Formats: sequence, structure tokens, C-alpha cells
Amino acid sequence: MKRNVFSTNKVQLLIFLLPAFLIVLLFYIIPIIITVYVSFTPMRNWNIDKYFNVIVGLQNYNRLFSLITRDPVARQVVVNTIVFVAITLVINVLGGLGLALANFFIDERVSTGFRTLWLLPRMTPIAVYGLLWYYFFHGSNIGMLNSIAMSLGLIKKPIAWGQEVIPWGPWSIIIIVNGFVGVSFGMVIFYSALKSIPRELIIAARVDGASNWKLTTNILIPLLRWHLLFVTTWQLLSLLTTYAHTFLLVEWGVVSRTYGQTWALYVFNTAFGRGEQDQGLAAAAAVILVIFGAILGWITVRALGFNKMITKPKGDI
Amino acid sequence: MVSVRLEKVTKKFGKVVAVNNVDLEIEEGEFMALLGPSGSGKSTLLYLIAGIYKPTSGKIFFDDHDVTNLPPRERNVGLVFQNYALYPHMKVYDNIAFPLKIKKVPKEEIRRKVFEVAKLLRIEHLLDRYPGQLSGGQQQRVAIARALVKEPQVLLLDEPLSNLDALLRVSVRSELKRLQKNLGITAIYVTHDQAEAMALADRIAIINEGVIQQVDLPEVVYNRPKNMFVGGFIGNPPMNFVEAGVEYNETVKLIVGEDSVWLPQEYIEILRKLKLQKVVLGFRPEDVLVLKDESQVEPGSSVIRGEIFTVEPMGREVLLTIMIGETMVKVYAPPTQYYSMGDKVFLQINPAKLRLFDPDTTIALEYLVKT
Ligand SMILES: Nc1ncnc2c1ncn2[C@@H]1O[C@H](COP(=O)(O)OP(=O)(O)OP(=O)(O)O)[C@@H](O)[C@H]1O
Ligand SMILES: [Mg+2]
Repeated sequence: MKRNVFSTNKVQLLIFLLPAFLIVLLFYIIPIIITVYVSFTPMRNWNIDKYFNVIVGLQNYNRLFSLITRDPVARQVVVNTIVFVAITLVINVLGGLGLALANFFIDERVSTGFRTLWLLPRMTPIAVYGLLWYYFFHGSNIGMLNSIAMSLGLIKKPIAWGQEVIPWGPWSIIIIVNGFVGVSFGMVIFYSALKSIPRELIIAARVDGASNWKLTTNILIPLLRWHLLFVTTWQLLSLLTTYAHTFLLVEWGVVSRTYGQTWALYVFNTAFGRGEQDQGLAAAAAVILVIFGAILGWITVRALGFNKMITKPKGDI
Repeated sequence: MVSVRLEKVTKKFGKVVAVNNVDLEIEEGEFMALLGPSGSGKSTLLYLIAGIYKPTSGKIFFDDHDVTNLPPRERNVGLVFQNYALYPHMKVYDNIAFPLKIKKVPKEEIRRKVFEVAKLLRIEHLLDRYPGQLSGGQQQRVAIARALVKEPQVLLLDEPLSNLDALLRVSVRSELKRLQKNLGITAIYVTHDQAEAMALADRIAIINEGVIQQVDLPEVVYNRPKNMFVGGFIGNPPMNFVEAGVEYNETVKLIVGEDSVWLPQEYIEILRKLKLQKVVLGFRPEDVLVLKDESQVEPGSSVIRGEIFTVEPMGREVLLTIMIGETMVKVYAPPTQYYSMGDKVFLQINPAKLRLFDPDTTIALEYLVKT
């Protein structure tokens, strides 16, 4: 009898897991296998017939390694990535937290509008959003930043911020543009978490004498621990792999290619960019990125004690 | 310890008037129960006293000190919730210590006070646990400890026992009363359990739809309800109401169906003054003698005829539902008699215990003449 119940449970479990498993297989595992495979071939210019069956071992990885150690452009990609991910991550997490808290303490009617405003960058199509920043940072006097700075008398002639002010000009631009998209993610998660804290808990803290600041540091933030961890890990991984906004900014010349190119964009440009396309090298770079992402993700989860928070499933069968 | 006084306090949430023009005074060291149905504004009233809400109009005083515009942290009140509202990420010790930490009390003193109050509530052995690792009753004690540790001027309790099982509730309830009396704290206790209110309180305030209906000693609220709402809310089962006509002759008597009910002198005089043609007769389930036979009726006493609708044995007594004409009443009878559905019975109401209400205003007649 017991065994019978157990085995139907297993069947049910499989049925539940199957769709998710198929999706993971189709969109995640198979592409990874292909990518890893391609990184061992000399694939270039999408010449699948000629190169797909040629195995060159670690040649692509060796090339990548020597590029990073010798080629200043490739080395700059690594630096760009570290600076970009680190700073944008801090902005996204702390900015999202700050916005959520601000929303929490202001009137509900005001905060709804406020939150929608911050969601705009995420809702706007990437090209349109990118275009706004194109006009904002444009290097001639049509650039909004230039015309503001000039009318205030701060500068005499227009500056190409993303090309001339090196390296912090291009870095700032890609950090700002991606940061504005990213904060809304943290904001939404943190705000909904704050909203779900029982009202009595807040009232209790108030009666216990807590000011807004004490309430935030002693009650709200500790209760957001899980969400902080989640947003940090999630944002870290997506920042490592994001390139769409940066791609447009580089293509349109707002940002210098050398100082604006992050690892993910480098992978894209190597595989699909102008000139010779080197899919083998790109695949090797992609594999390295995934490995790094996995390690960093694991470290964050460890460092912030995620495993302690994993509880037994509450809706178990 | 202070006295608490509310003067014409009103609180509106948009169009909802949660608390309506409330005048209420709680004396120093008094245990006041605030009793009312769900949504009547009990919690809102507590939060107004705690300073969580600002009144839309009106004033709140602690002694003679106007606290209407003071934030919660400057009022020094303790608040205990129905769902305990312990901080889940802090151990019991830190939960209790929290109000003191906020006040920047020195560490050693915090320690001393936390242990003192933990001892008082017999939770010393739980200090090192998280709230999630405690039973409901233990969590409740921690919540009370957290409210007491800052030595509040006023202790506010919002249905603190309703999550406990019946047995535990009774024991924590008496403990709470002992504690309150020993510490001499002014306490306001919200509940919608009228038995709890009767058992605990020095005085009971009954609130309905944001309006205070009556504030009195428990026995007065029970025996002389100010209006039909109070009579119908207090007591389990509550007071019965039967419509009656009034006949004015050499004496004044009530007419229920074909039966006459004699009145005590007090009511005769009141009715002669008010000259009402109709009243509502109210009586409690335990103030009635149920007679099966007309011959049992004592001469000179009045009875109302009815028919038994349901019989519910309750152990110590039997609860009968009886139809008087179209009206249903509930009465207690001793289990020594055998009753069955459809029996014709005679209800002899204890004349000293019957209450009369004005059908238009629902106010008890004796309160009508007073005002
Ligand atoms: N923050 C609020 N915003 C809007 N309406 C509210 C708010 N708090 C209470 N109300 C309304 O005010 C009225 C009184 O609510 P309150 O919580 O004081 O009732 P209560 O007597 O404590 O009820 P219960 O016994 O169910 O706890 C209700 O109609 C409620 O919907
Ligand atoms: Mg309530």
C-alpha cells in the first residue's frame, strides 16, 4: 500500500517537472553543449560545412588567453567588465533598495506614479531608450548634456563624453544607462517584499519607539535579507551577460569601443560583429564567461548564506 | 501610571468613520475592556491612543497632558497584538530588549530588565530561541514581556488571547489580570469575547460602528444594558427581545399576544411618564422559569405562552428555543424536566430582571427618563 502511494507520487512529480525540464533542455542545455563544442572547432564566418567537424582542441582557449595577456584591447575588455559589473551591481541593489524604501515611506498615491516612472526604462524598447541616451550624451552641441553644460558656462565647446573623457566617460555612460534599467528590478522586488511585511510588525516597532531610520535598519532590512540576496545574485549574473544597450551605444559611437566593450559584448562582436567573425573564439569566451558566472554566483550564495535559507518545500506532496 | 481621556475623538478613513465622537475616560490603574463586534473600531481606538493614527478631530490626554499630536515613541505605551507581531529575525531576548535598545538604555540595565520581566512571565528559558520556535502561548508571553519591559504608562492589548485555545486562554487571562493589578498599570483590553471582558475588566466599554454605547461596571452592563444593542451583544446567548403593547388602567401592564405581563413599580412610573403604546420587552435566558403546566403558575405572577422549537442539552442546563408568536427566544431550563419539540410551555419572567426598551430609539426606558 505504502509503496503504491509512493510510486504515484513519483509519477506526479515527473509530470510536474517535465515541462520545466524540457524548456531547460531546449533553451539551456542544448545551446550550452553546442557552444562548448563550437569552442573546440575553428569555426569562422559561419562556415558550418567547412569547420563544424574539425576539432582543434584548446586552440581557441590558448588564443583567448594570449589575447588577454598581450592585446591591450582584449585586456581592456576584462577591466571594463569588472568595473561595469561591480559599480552597476552596487547601484542596482542599493538604488533599488533606496527607491523601495522611499516608496514605502511616502503616500501610496504618490508612490504608484513614482514607481511607474522608474519602470519606464524597462518598459521602453531598448532602441528607443538607447536613442534617448544617444541624444543625451551626444558629442556635438545637439547632445543635451553638452547644451546644458554650455548654457551654464561649465564648458566652452561640446565634449564627446563617451570618446574623449577616458576611461571614466564611457564607463559612466554604460553604468548610468544600464543602472537606470536595473534599479527598477530591485525596486519592484524590494517594494513588494516590504508591502508584505505584516502591518502589526511595523506598528509594534513604532510603539517601541523606532524612528524611520531605526525601523529601516533594525526591522525592514533584516526582513529583506532573502530578497537582497536574490536581487544581488540575479543582477550579478545578468550584468555579466548583458550587452544590448551597450552594443547600441558603441555602434552609434556614443561610447568608445575600447572602453565600452564588456566581455559579453566582446563575445557578441567576435561572433557576429563587423569584419572577420570568429565563432570558435567567441564560443571559448562565452564558455569562460559562463564558468566565471557560475563561480561568482556560487560565491555570493555562499557568502550571503543562501543555503541556510532554503527550507523544505511548503507545498510538498 | 496615568489616566487616559478621549475627548470627542473622531477618526475617518476616507468616507469610513471608524471612530465617531468618542468620549471616554480610563482611570489610573484601571483595567478597561473595550468590547464590540468586528469592524466596530476597537483597534482604531487603540491605535489612536498609541499614536499610530492621528484623530481626524478631538483630543487625547494622558493625565492632563495633551498627547494628541505626539508620535508613538513619545507616549510610552505598550501594545500587544492578536498575532503577537514578534520580530521574526530576532531572538526572544532581542525582541524584549528592542524597545530599550531604541531608547539607548545601557546594556547592563537592558539585561537586568529583560531578565526581570522574563522571570515575571516565566519565559527565562526561552530567551535564546527565535519566535518561530515557540508555541502560541509562549509567543504571547513574549509579546506581553516586550510591552511591559519599557514600563509603559498605558498597556494596550488588542485581542491578545484570541489565538490561544480555550483552556490556555482562561489561565493566561487570570495571569494577565494579576499582573496588571500587581503592576498597577492602566490597561485597555480589546476583545470581542464578552465572557473575557466580564471576567477581566474593572469596567467595560461597548462600542458599535465607532460609537461608544455604554461604559459601566460589568454587572451593570449585563443587568442594565443601556440599549438593545448592548443587551443583544452581551451574554451568551444574548438578551431576548419580544415586542409588547402597553395597557394603561389603574395599573400599567404589558400585552404579549393574549398574555398580560405585570410590571415592577419602577417601570410603571416610567411608562406613565413616557406614555408609550409599544415597548420591547427584554429578558435574559436565565431569568425565566419554564413551566409545562398552567397549574404550576403561582397565582398573581404573569406568564407568556410559547411553544418549544428546539431543545439543546448543555450539561448543567438545557437551552430551549421557544416561539412566542412569531418571535424566537432562548431560555435556560434545569435538566430535571423533560422537554420535547412542540410542547406548549409557560414562561414566567422574573419581574425584577425584565428590561424595557423604546422600539424607536432602542434605548432602555430607565435611561430615557434620566436624560
Ligand atoms: N487603515 C485603514 N484604512 C481604511 N479603513 C480602515 C483602516 N483601519 C480600519 N479601517 C476601517 O475602520 C473600521 C474599524 O476598523 P477596526 O480595525 O478598528 O475594527 P475592529 O473593531 O478592530 O474589528 P476586529 O474585531 O475585526 O479587529 C472598519 O470598517 C475598517 O474597515
Ligand atoms: Mg481589530
